Amino acid sequence: MQDTLVQVTGLTKEFKRTTGEKFYAVENVNLDIKRGEIFSLLGPNGAGKTTTISMISGLLAPTSGDATIGGHSITKQPLEAKKLLGVVPQEIALYPTLTARQNLEFFGKMYGLGGAELAQRIDETLDFIDLKDRQHDKVESFSGGMKRRVNIGIGLMHHPQLIYMDEPTVGVDPQNRRRVLDTVLRMRQERGMSVLYTSHLMEEVQEISDRVAIIDHGEVIASGTVGELIQKVGEEDRLIFSVGDQTVSDAVLDKFKQITGVTSAVYSQKQVGNGDSADNNTGNGAPVDGLVTVFAKRGRKALPDIIRVANEAGLDILSVEVREPDLEAVFLHLTGRALRD
Amino acid sequence: MLSKIWAITWKEIYTTYTDRNLLLIMLLTPLALATIIGAAFSGFINTSNDVPVSDIPVAVVNLDQGTNANGTTVNNGDTFVSLLVPKDGKPDPSNELQTLTSAVQVADAATARAAVDQGTYAAAIIIPADFSAKLTYSQTHSIEPVAVEVYASAASPISASIVRTITGEIVNQIATGNITVEATIEALIDRAKSDPAFGLAFAAQGTNFNPDFAPAFTPGNNPVSINQQTVTGQAATFSPLVVFGSAQAVFFMLFTAMGGATSLLEERRDGTLQRLIVSPTPRIVILLGKLLGTLVNCVVQVTVLVIALTIVGSILGGKIQFIWGSYIGYIALVILAVSIAASGLATLVASLIRTPEQGNLIGGVISLVMGVFGGAFFNTSIFPSFLKAISNLTVTYWGTDAFTKLAQNQTDIGTNLAVLFVMGIVLFVVGLTIFNRRLSV
Repeated sequence: MQDTLVQVTGLTKEFKRTTGEKFYAVENVNLDIKRGEIFSLLGPNGAGKTTTISMISGLLAPTSGDATIGGHSITKQPLEAKKLLGVVPQEIALYPTLTARQNLEFFGKMYGLGGAELAQRIDETLDFIDLKDRQHDKVESFSGGMKRRVNIGIGLMHHPQLIYMDEPTVGVDPQNRRRVLDTVLRMRQERGMSVLYTSHLMEEVQEISDRVAIIDHGEVIASGTVGELIQKVGEEDRLIFSVGDQTVSDAVLDKFKQITGVTSAVYSQKQVGNGDSADNNTGNGAPVDGLVTVFAKRGRKALPDIIRVANEAGLDILSVEVREPDLEAVFLHLTGRALRD
Repeated sequence: MLSKIWAITWKEIYTTYTDRNLLLIMLLTPLALATIIGAAFSGFINTSNDVPVSDIPVAVVNLDQGTNANGTTVNNGDTFVSLLVPKDGKPDPSNELQTLTSAVQVADAATARAAVDQGTYAAAIIIPADFSAKLTYSQTHSIEPVAVEVYASAASPISASIVRTITGEIVNQIATGNITVEATIEALIDRAKSDPAFGLAFAAQGTNFNPDFAPAFTPGNNPVSINQQTVTGQAATFSPLVVFGSAQAVFFMLFTAMGGATSLLEERRDGTLQRLIVSPTPRIVILLGKLLGTLVNCVVQVTVLVIALTIVGSILGGKIQFIWGSYIGYIALVILAVSIAASGLATLVASLIRTPEQGNLIGGVISLVMGVFGGAFFNTSIFPSFLKAISNLTVTYWGTDAFTKLAQNQTDIGTNLAVLFVMGIVLFVVGLTIFNRRLSV
C-alpha cells in the first residue's frame, strides 16, 4: 500500500466581494495524494482548483482546515512543507531578461541549493528539459514552448517529492502539449514524484491520472480512479445533438427520457465566438450553440427514436455525436453542466 | 536566509544595470539636466563655474551701549564695525573681510531690515545693546552668550550664509580678544606683586603704557579665529552644479526607488512573486531582498552622478575640482540617507497601490512634486514661507540642502541626516508591514 504524501482536511477559503458579500471559493475540501501517483483536480474554470492548490502550496492562507505535505502542516510548518513541493504555475513565471541558466540558478537558491550541487542540478535540469544548448540565451528570446519548459524545469530542480502543475497545457500547441504530458509521466516514472495536476481538459486528465477529484463550485463532488468515476454513469453512451439557436423545452426533454434505454436528457447552451449579431444569442451579443445531451444504454439503438421525437417536436438536429463513457460524461452526470460551459 | 536576501538583491541590481533604457533614465538624463540647468544659472561655461562672491552688500547696525571694564569704557560693537566697515569707505586691502563684503554702517535696525527687504543689502547685522556687557571678561564676569541678529535676504542665500559665518567668527574673535587682554593685564599685575622692581618700572610708565592689543581682535592673527581661507575659499568653489546636480540626482533617484518598489507588483502580475512565495523563503526575506536591491540601486545611482558631475564641473571649469566639498565621509552618509529615505517612501507607496500602472503614475507624481518643491528646478530659497514648509517635507530638499552645505564645507548636516534617516526608516517599516500583511491574505 502506498504512503500518503499529501493530506488535505476541511480546507476552506472565504473571500469577500466588492459589495461586501462573503462567498466560499473552496469549501471543506478533503483529499489525499499517495507517493508516486499522478493526482488530478478536474473542474471547469472558476471551480476552485487554483484556490485549493494555492492553499496547499502556501500561497493563500486557508480560512479553515489544513493540508500536510510529508507530514508537515502548510500553516504551521510552511517552510518544511514547501521544501517538498515544486510548483509549475499556469502562466510563464520567469525573469525575461535573465538567461535560462540564470533563472534556474536564482530559483535554485530560493530552494536552498548552492555551490557545486546547484550547478549540477542546473545541468541535470537543462538536460531534462532539453535546453542545454540555449542555456545562456535570455528567456525573452525563447519561443512559448521553450519558456514553458524552463517554467517546468524550475519546479523540478530541487527534486521535490510533490510537483504541482496548474493547467500547464493552457495555450500550448498540440506538439508542445504532448511534450508537457510526456514530461509529467517521466517525472513519475524516472523520479518517483507525486504529481498534483489541475486541468479543465478531460482528455489529458483521463490519459495521465491515477486518481482524479472532480471539483465544482469549490467542492469536491467525486473522486477516485478514472474507472471508478466512469462507473458512476454506468455503461451509458452519450448522444450529443447540436440544435443551433433553437431553445429546447423541458417538455421535449421529458419526451426523450420516455424513450427505452434513455436515462436522462440535458439541454445546454454554449457561446460561439464573439459575434456581433443581436439574434441567436444569450443576451450578451454572442451567438450560441444549443446542445441536447442524452444518456442512454446502447445509445446507437436509441438514436432513431430520439430523432423521431425531435422531428415530432419540430426540433431541427444539425449534427449528432455518440460518445463512450468518459470523465466529461461523469461531470455532466453529476452537475448537469458540461466541463467547458 | 542572508544568502537568499543577497540572491534577490543581486538579481535586482543585475536586471537594473543590464537594462540600457533604464540606465539612460537613471544616469544620463539627470546628468544632462543638471549640467544644463547648472550652466544656465551660473553662466560658467568658458570661464569658471564659481559663483562670483565679493563685495556682498551688508548693513551693520551698532546698538551696543558699551560697558565699563577695569575703569575703562569699552565698546565691542565699535570693534566689530571697525573690522567690517572700511574707514572713509575705502576697504583695507589687508583685511579680506572688507573685500569680501561691502559693509556700511546704518543707524537703526528698522532702516537696515527695510533695506534688506528691498534688496539693497544681502544681509543686515544688528549688534545688540548688551553686546559689550555680555562679552566682557574679568575675574568677576564670565563671557555670556550674545545674540547678534543677521537679517538676511531670502533671495541671496549664499551671501547670507557667508555673512552669518563671518558674524559668528567676528563675535568669537572679540570674545577671544577680551580674554587675551584680561589675561595679559592680570599677568602684569601678578608680576608687579611678585617683582617690586618690575612693579615700580611699570608704574613709572604711567600714561606711556600703551600696548597694542589690536592683533588680538584681528581674525588673521589668531590661530583660533575664523579661518578666512575657509570662509572665502568655500564661497569661491561653490557651484550651482552642486545645487541642481544634487537635486536632479535625488529627483531621479526617487524614480528609481519608486520603480524598484513597484516592481514587487510587477512580479506579482508576472507570477514570479508567487513563485518566490511558494518556495521555502519567508515573505519578509523576499521583501527585504527586493528593497535592499532598490536601496543599493539608489546609492549607486547617486554616487555615479556625484562623480560624473564632478567630471563635468572640472571640464567646464577648466580645472580639476571636487565640487562637493572635502568631507567625503559626510557625502557618503548623505548619499546613504537620501537613498534610505527614497526607498522608504517608495516602499510605502508600493504597499498602498494595487497595480504596477498605478505605481508608475502615483510614484511619478510624488517624485515630480518632490522634485519641484525640493529644488530640482528652482532654488527653494526664493519660496515664500508656506511653500518652504512643503519643501521641508521632501526628500529632495533635505538631500540637496545637505549636499549644498557640504560643498561649502559646512558640516552642520545633523538635522538633514536625522530627518532623512528617520523618514526612511519609519516609512520603510510601515510600508513593509502593510505589504507583508497584503501578501499573507
